[in-house]
Amino acid sequence: MTTIEDNPPGLPVELGKIDRELGLLWEESGDTKTRASLINLAIYTESPEAVEANTALISQVAREYACRAILIFANRAAARNEARAWISAHCHMAGKGDRQVCSEQITFQLDGDLVGSLPNIVFSHLDSDLPLCFWWQGAFPDADDATLWTWVDRLIFDSQDWSDPAVQFERVRALHASEGRVVLCDLNWTRLLRTRFALAQFFDHAGALPHLSRIRRVEIVHAPGCRTVGLLILGWLAAQLGWTHQEILGRHTFRSAAGAEVQFALTASPGASLGACRLFSDTASFELARSENGEVFRAAMTLPECGEIHSTLSAGRDQLVDVLVTELSRGGKHPLYLKSLESVAPLFLS
Amino acid sequence: MAEPCALVIFGATGDLTHRKLIPALYNLAADGNLPPATSVVGFARREKTDQEFRTELEEAARKFSRQKINDELWSSFAESISYHRSAFDQADGYIALAKRLEEIDARNGTRGNRLFYIAAAPDQFEVILRNLRDSGLSTARDGAFARVIVEKPFGSDLPTARALNSLVDVAFSEADTYRIDHYLGKETAQNIMVLRFANSIFEGMWNNRYISHVQITASEPLGVEGRAGYYDKSGALRDMVQNHLLQLLCLTAMEPPTDLSADSVRDEKVKVLRALRPLKGAEVAKNVVRAQYGAGTINGKRVPAYRDEANIPPESATDTYVALRLHVDNWRWAGVPFFVRVGKRMPKGGTEIAVHFKSVPPVLFNRSSDEVLDENVLVIRIQPDEGIALRMCAKLPGSSLRIEPVKMDFHYGTSFGKATPEAYERLLLDAMSGDPTLFARRDEVEQAWRFVDAVRAAWGDGEKDLCFYSAGTWGPTEADHLIERDGFSWRRL
Repeated sequence: MTTIEDNPPGLPVELGKIDRELGLLWEESGDTKTRASLINLAIYTESPEAVEANTALISQVAREYACRAILIFANRAAARNEARAWISAHCHMAGKGDRQVCSEQITFQLDGDLVGSLPNIVFSHLDSDLPLCFWWQGAFPDADDATLWTWVDRLIFDSQDWSDPAVQFERVRALHASEGRVVLCDLNWTRLLRTRFALAQFFDHAGALPHLSRIRRVEIVHAPGCRTVGLLILGWLAAQLGWTHQEILGRHTFRSAAGAEVQFALTASPGASLGACRLFSDTASFELARSENGEVFRAAMTLPECGEIHSTLSAGRDQLVDVLVTELSRGGKHPLYLKSLESVAPLFLS
Repeated sequence: MAEPCALVIFGATGDLTHRKLIPALYNLAADGNLPPATSVVGFARREKTDQEFRTELEEAARKFSRQKINDELWSSFAESISYHRSAFDQADGYIALAKRLEEIDARNGTRGNRLFYIAAAPDQFEVILRNLRDSGLSTARDGAFARVIVEKPFGSDLPTARALNSLVDVAFSEADTYRIDHYLGKETAQNIMVLRFANSIFEGMWNNRYISHVQITASEPLGVEGRAGYYDKSGALRDMVQNHLLQLLCLTAMEPPTDLSADSVRDEKVKVLRALRPLKGAEVAKNVVRAQYGAGTINGKRVPAYRDEANIPPESATDTYVALRLHVDNWRWAGVPFFVRVGKRMPKGGTEIAVHFKSVPPVLFNRSSDEVLDENVLVIRIQPDEGIALRMCAKLPGSSLRIEPVKMDFHYGTSFGKATPEAYERLLLDAMSGDPTLFARRDEVEQAWRFVDAVRAAWGDGEKDLCFYSAGTWGPTEADHLIERDGFSWRRL
């Protein structure tokens, strides 16, 4: 098994001396470096292999988003209870000058029962007055320490990684119910930003609006293992078009605002996480499909009054670092996310 | 300008001398701020030669000095250090000291100037002061000075503080008495006045029209360590609030002094203490939370409950955490609560003053209820990492209007090429120069005790209103409720 010691993510430091050692790091670094931070970015992982990948990711994120990064490797299975820490800095040239802008990274390894002390060990090293964006990688645990979320401003997670989304979404909803101030940031939702933008452009055409309110069928093509993406985009459509979920004799459909039934189908097919989204009314159709190379969306709508209208839109990049930077840069409360989630919550169980 | 003098340290073999005083004196010498003729005499009971004393101090200086020890410089500095063995209650020891100081005057040119630093236990103050008086050492020769620096605690309540002050009066005049509060020697504490009164942008907003509340926090991860005997009698309120935190509150809330003379500044500080709304009886339960730490985890290590610490009685009701909601009843601060909290075994150590400004009216960016803008906060960090930070709102780059808090941060440690002097360096130099501005005056000390005593009286001797919190947390939930009543929450340090 890989351990942090195989490739330590910085200088080892005593837990009680982290701030002092960070101070020394800067005092010794000369005056061409600027310590910068816009947020606290904490990343929690239970995989030792992920430490190196996350360190590389933090370095890339720090180029665009200076932060105090805190990487936590929770080793619940460890036989002994121990906590260790390392510090490092990620420096990048700023603009055309010779100044470097640097972000700090503190990496913690919490072994055994000390994983339960995460709030008091880790959160005492946050940069005060800056928001805390906490990325919880993997599944949320059964029971957690309520104090864990007390100081979190934005909780980042990636529903694409969940093996049991029904249970996980339920935990997310429960967390939001108890800590309403925490902004839920599902990277899967962020990944859909361009898709949602591309679908939203159908609403721009005045001639399309009456047909959109009369949609009867939705077809969504997603990559194998990416059903959650399909459900989230379906939830978004439902929330935007005012559909409510209904289940009749085990058959799931939606009821439109006008009371009509809306059917849907999610199909897995190799390709982009979300390959296509098609909407049909009795007289019109709307299609958004990702190109083979994944770089653009091809949009087409067929309206009885106007015939076929085509457009091409940038699909953006799906790399994890791009998705994370997009999420951090956007800010906001994501009110539509929860609304969309509520719209399709029963479907996660189906 | 500091004048050369003979600095006599009572309690010279103690921790304070080793950790703070000698490193501070060495750093002053290394920076060229200590008059070369200055001589240091350690006064203590243990048998020791000058050389043994110097060797001990050198080891300590190498460990605790902020600057690396230069061997040549240390040798020169060490020559000015000598050791005088005597018990504190031994009258002839003081007679011998007087003779020794005269020799030093003649040899080193200290001009008869005397600075006595009482770094001994409080129960030794009286005997030292009486002997200084009886031996004539407290009387300055013509053209010279005889001053005394007294370490805290300045009493344990108002009557004992008064008794101590009267005692000091017996030997020294108020003008020659320097009650040291090392918080006031920290650069940022000194900078509070500069920040407020040398920058027009702040002073105009430093009032109840713009400020919603102020939070003053002093937290430390340490427990009682080796101070169990003292701490269990004192508690957080007397150990920290009566002196350090009320001093910080005074600097934050005071009116501009008419000039920078010591008494003008201290007059304004005393006015703040007088304007503190007294807390008595039921008001204490409503506005003060006292608590004690239970077992918990600090920096990944299990630590015992306060009552399980060595030399602490298992039924102790001593407060290791106090949170207070205070009001300064004057025109400037009417309606602005000052939340003061201090605690041991907190997750993080730090002392800061956070001035929270009022939120902008909900007419533009925060028009809807789910668009809450973080208020501006000006944070004055006293320790560690002294500096000032201002939180404000900024638009995130991009086509949409998203607003997030950003922080402008100034660190003394990295912003100036010169290392920040330790508080004791500044304070020792001031005492040698005869500038008592950064030292507490008798009436300040007594006024602070008057306020704290009323709180103590409401608590009584038992466990009344004592709450508990786990070590490694930010205090009891009762303290959260205290601040939440006003619609605020404690800051995350």
